[in-house]
Amino acid sequence: MDSLHQAKVQKFEEFVDQRLKPDLVRAIAERDKVFEQQKIFSDLRRNIENLEKNSVTSLRTLVDIGSEVYLQAEVPDTQRIFVDIGLGFHVEFTWSEALNYITQREEKIARQIEEYTQLIASIKAQIKLVLEGIREIIQLPAEKSLPERIF
Amino acid sequence: MEEARKGTVTSLASLFPVEEAQKASKRMQDAITEKENELGRLRDFITDNNNLINLVQKLPEELNHDIMVPFGKAAFFPGRLIHTNEFLVLLGEGYFAERTSKQTIDILKRRGNTLDSQVDALEAMIKDLKAEASFFNVTASEAAEGLVEIREDYVEEKSIKGESKPGDITHDPPSFYEANEGKAATDDEEFARMMAKLDELEEEELAAESDNKSDNNEEAAADIEAISHQRLNNSLQDTEDFQPRIPLEHTNNKSTTMKLPEKYNRQEDITDQLNFAGLAVQSKVREGKNLAHNVEDFTLGKNPPSHPEAKEKAEAAAPSKSEAQHQTSRPSFDSHKAFTGSIVEHTENLQTTSAKQTSNSSQVSGSQPSKPVSRFKMQRR
Repeated sequence: MDSLHQAKVQKFEEFVDQRLKPDLVRAIAERDKVFEQQKIFSDLRRNIENLEKNSVTSLRTLVDIGSEVYLQAEVPDTQRIFVDIGLGFHVEFTWSEALNYITQREEKIARQIEEYTQLIASIKAQIKLVLEGIREIIQLPAEKSLPERIF
Repeated sequence: MEEARKGTVTSLASLFPVEEAQKASKRMQDAITEKENELGRLRDFITDNNNLINLVQKLPEELNHDIMVPFGKAAFFPGRLIHTNEFLVLLGEGYFAERTSKQTIDILKRRGNTLDSQVDALEAMIKDLKAEASFFNVTASEAAEGLVEIREDYVEEKSIKGESKPGDITHDPPSFYEANEGKAATDDEEFARMMAKLDELEEEELAAESDNKSDNNEEAAADIEAISHQRLNNSLQDTEDFQPRIPLEHTNNKSTTMKLPEKYNRQEDITDQLNFAGLAVQSKVREGKNLAHNVEDFTLGKNPPSHPEAKEKAEAAAPSKSEAQHQTSRPSFDSHKAFTGSIVEHTENLQTTSAKQTSNSSQVSGSQPSKPVSRFKMQRR
């Protein structure tokens, strides 16, 4: 009986350590990536709005050509902008079109973030659940804080 | 029977458990892969750098280049590069410098050199790690095979009749094995050789140190060791100079060496008293020769017993006589020798003066080996 319990506990622990925790780490990494995208697009939107506000028609910037070596570049016409729509495709937009696209894109990103947050929460809940199961198997007393909740 | 008494057999597996060795080798492998990843990253940097050098070289060839100018990370404007011979290069810590194409290339090449040296260092490190890993692997496989280590402690003079031969043979290897206890059997020989060399070098170093010390303390002469050392050297010289005496040398020696030895003698009186047995004889000889003139009178007047000073004086009398009787060169020779005074020289004095001083010789001969006397006698004549 004891050995059976021990084997079970070990199996659960392995599940937590080798499945749930790596899943959690991966989900968090994915969500961070999406956060990054959100930041990129919010920056782009702010920049375009700035251009609009200042009615900039031509632009001079510095371009990084690698290893922090910069070169001057000139943009003769800022009316048309090419925006990355994913999978390596860029679409030529006017400012208003671009802003429209960015808002839609931001909504989608927000939804993705929400999804990942849900996923992370569920993984965390599963980990908790399994740990609780282990606790029951080895018959440790339940934590006192749980039953004391009163609504 | 002998085995039961001498040898101990330990299986390698008990010293290095197989799992432990394997674990160690696995850890080494992990370290190697980590370093190799780093190396790959560095190589990427290098290729990037080279590409950039080519690019910077080509850009000024035309006045402007049509490019897509990045606008944030997700957008572009169609545009073109202008001022293609003006580069803004990051120097680090947020400082930028405006450089021409050529200057930029110089900077980039210097960066490339640092990267190359880093790659070299990393490669050397990986090589070391690999050697270590292979060592662990060998150890693991040997432990798995059930290799045993046989050790035999050296017992000094256990079998007297067995003579030194078996003792010598067994002596060295076991000591090295003991030192290498923690290592695998494979490297033992190499280690033994290395240890032997190290020991040798250490001894040499010690010897050199003591030599230096003696040289430095010569003048102080308080150091007994120093004096004896010098004496040895001088005695060698003496034996060389011995028979073909050159008049010039005598005179020179006389003037120069007469003074030095006196210093010695005074201090050595003390040292002699401290350790009769070893040095008393030598110091006596010296004093006898050096102070021959001065001490002559005292020696005879003072008490003759076995006290070192007394002996010295007694002896002193002898050379002084010889000097007086023979030539002027004699004293110089003696003084020179006195300076060096070793047992050997002592005997010389005895020879020359033996005929004249019977009482003295009897005293001294008691404390000295008789062999050298005869030898030098032969030489003299």
